[in-house]
Amino acid sequence: MKQKVERDQILGHEDEADGIKEYDNPLPDWWLGLFWITVIWGVAYLVHYHFIAHRSPEAALAQELADAEIRWATPEAAEAEAELVLSAEAVAEGEGIFRTYCVACHGANMMGGIGPNLLDDEWLHGGTSENIVKTITDGVPAMGMVPWGPVLGAEQVNRVAAYVVSKNAEALGRDPSDALRPSEGS
Amino acid sequence: MMQDRYADPQTTNWPDLVNPMEYTNPTTVDESVYDDDVVRMFFGATVIWGVVGMLVGVTIALQLAWWPANLGLPWTTFGRLRPLHTNAVIFAFAGNICFTGIYYSMQRLLKTRMWSDRLSRIHFWGWQAIIVAAAITLPLGLTQSKEYAELIWPIDIAIVVIWVIFAVNFFGTLATRKVKHIYVAIWFYISFVITIAVLHVVNSLAIPATLFRSYPVYSGMTDALVQWWYGHNAVGFFLTTPFLGLMYYFLPRAAERPVYSYRLSIVHFWSLVFLYIWTGPHHLLYSGLPDWAQTLGVVFSVMLLAPSWGGMLNGLLTLRGAWHRVRTDPVLKFFVVAVSFYGMSTFEGPMMAIRAVNSLAHFTNWVIGHVHSGALGWVGMMTFGTLYWLVPRLWKRELVYPNMATTHFWLATIGIVLYTVSMWAAGLIEGLMWRAVNERGLLASPAFMDIADRLDPFYGLRLLGGLLYFIGAVMMAWNIYRTVAASRAGAPTPSAATAAS
Ligand code: HEC
Ligand code: HEM
Ligand code: HEM
Repeated sequence: MKQKVERDQILGHEDEADGIKEYDNPLPDWWLGLFWITVIWGVAYLVHYHFIAHRSPEAALAQELADAEIRWATPEAAEAEAELVLSAEAVAEGEGIFRTYCVACHGANMMGGIGPNLLDDEWLHGGTSENIVKTITDGVPAMGMVPWGPVLGAEQVNRVAAYVVSKNAEALGRDPSDALRPSEGS
Repeated sequence: MMQDRYADPQTTNWPDLVNPMEYTNPTTVDESVYDDDVVRMFFGATVIWGVVGMLVGVTIALQLAWWPANLGLPWTTFGRLRPLHTNAVIFAFAGNICFTGIYYSMQRLLKTRMWSDRLSRIHFWGWQAIIVAAAITLPLGLTQSKEYAELIWPIDIAIVVIWVIFAVNFFGTLATRKVKHIYVAIWFYISFVITIAVLHVVNSLAIPATLFRSYPVYSGMTDALVQWWYGHNAVGFFLTTPFLGLMYYFLPRAAERPVYSYRLSIVHFWSLVFLYIWTGPHHLLYSGLPDWAQTLGVVFSVMLLAPSWGGMLNGLLTLRGAWHRVRTDPVLKFFVVAVSFYGMSTFEGPMMAIRAVNSLAHFTNWVIGHVHSGALGWVGMMTFGTLYWLVPRLWKRELVYPNMATTHFWLATIGIVLYTVSMWAAGLIEGLMWRAVNERGLLASPAFMDIADRLDPFYGLRLLGGLLYFIGAVMMAWNIYRTVAASRAGAPTPSAATAAS
């Protein structure tokens, strides 16, 4: 191992390799070093992951959820804060949300497509603001209506609901605030 | 004069030969003992299927960029054409060039004709029939739904039969060889022949229900693990080891330089074949696969870096003393880019196998970029270089349009760069957007379409890159076709006359 290896020495069996000669050069040091580093890393990683840090995908998920809990207010807290307001800003924000997420199924004119018409007086799941917020939040997964609560959050659900309520009232020539009264329904 | 130049390397008089003393071919065997007809047949099949497979690739790239290209017909939708593309480029294009190179080089390396001409022919026609069967059944929607193993059970059985015939012929030739030493290219071929047989049989085990349908014997996670043990080793032993074999034969022949290190070839061969087999789970990170198995996939993938680079080093360092010829010789140009992309994709692969990186890259176009840097860069460029090198030797005629080969080289290289760079960008963008959250902890882009829309320009760029690559391949096919026609018009030797297929 110690003696200096001669470089570019022809091995001498080219007559058995269609004339292709081969040097018997030593393995490049940096290449061998790289190989050993990856092998050592491999063993170290395995031991650390499973036997020292006791990592697992389940533990990683639990950790991420715990971190998120601290970093962001809990959904329940946000829910309690959010409420349906029919202000011009709220409706405008709701329109943006509707354009992004809802037109694919309910149509740009809200007259329906995959999902039902939202401008008529017929409601499958109730026409009060409370009903509408609930339908949007929980969805009707079996029928193809997405549960938007976990995606948009309570605040944005209320914004888009405000847009739906005001457009519906406009189409039917009613006062949008009628829908805010819990007693009124389908 | 032209003819003699390639007939016997011993009398070759290369004007730009670096050190003529170092390269003499002591082969005394008369070249006519070799069966080159079967080489020409596989050669022709490589060119034809290459063009077909890439045309389908361009088609599905167009479909992703512009959906109406699905044509609204079930047979032409992306879902059916995608497996047609992968099967055509892997088993037809890459498969046929492996057989071309193996039949050409192993006869010369072992100084003996193939063991049985009849088996060679059965292998050729059987393999092409399998490809045609695949090209019919996949658009019809007949599939087993396992990636790279989609073909239905009767075709799977045909593959086994044809592969065994090939293996018998291969090992028969090895057994009747006229030399003692087995050159490194042959070791790589052996790993190809044995491993693909084992992988294919184990992964395809199924219980037939009807002529077209069957039930896999594995289920759930076991099925997934077997599938990706197969899938990754298809990459390893169909797209890597036979091509390393081709590299070890055709690169030193084209460069006329000795292989840099025999020692390195032994060490990287054994480390490569040993490590590859364990890396399958890196396709199943963060899945239901037991965590220890996922860790094994990660660890073995990272350890695969150096053995892969051993092949790249031996390729590039063999070119010492021949670099000035790279500037003028399109064959060497193709080989240099091929080996460089091999190094690139085998660096990228181990990185993508690390858990944290994979959680970003998985399911994104980054994987598609990685695939094609290996497929277009390594597999494709090795193939083109080998084909161009073989033309004058198989048809005793120089290329009719030598400059067109250089144009092909540049089109292909630019095509690969456009393809891979656009897919990396697309992959990173979608990967990052999928996980981005806003200040309230909600998804920043909950609408999938928002993200999909962002990818449009990159799909366009990829289409352009793929188109350039495809045009290059068509130019090669035309160039070769004209050369073969000219060769036949000029010197209609009986063997050249049968070369059409
Ligand atoms: C993937 C298609 C789809 C999308 C996107 C979608 N919806 Fe719906 N939606 C439906 C379907 C389908 C129904 C009918 C459910 C049923 O039949 O019970 C529905 C029902 C509703 C209803 C109740 C109608 C009634 O008659 O009671 C409201 C309100 C509603 N959607 C609002 C929205 C809003 C707001 C959005 C955007 C945030 C949205 N939808 C996005 C498919 C969709
Ligand atoms: C003209 C050249 C080519 C073009 C335009 C092209 C295009 C494509 C496209 C659009 C896809 C589907 C990507 C997706 O699902 O998002 C794909 C997949 C694939 N292609 Fe190509 N391709 C080309 C050449 C090749 C070659 C030469 C090979 C192999 C030797 C190859 C191997 C593959 C593989 C293995 C996949 C599947 C990747 C995966 O599932 O991750 N392609 N190709
Ligand atoms: C050291 C070598 C390599 C390693 C460790 C490696 C690793 C990986 C990893 C981690 C993935 C992504 C899996 C996922 O998240 O879905 C992948 C995908 C892929 N790689 Fe490699 N790679 C290597 C070399 C290559 C080469 C040289 C090629 C082609 C010639 C190639 C072809 C592919 C293909 C086709 C896929 C896509 C599989 C699929 O999902 O359909 N790889 N590879």
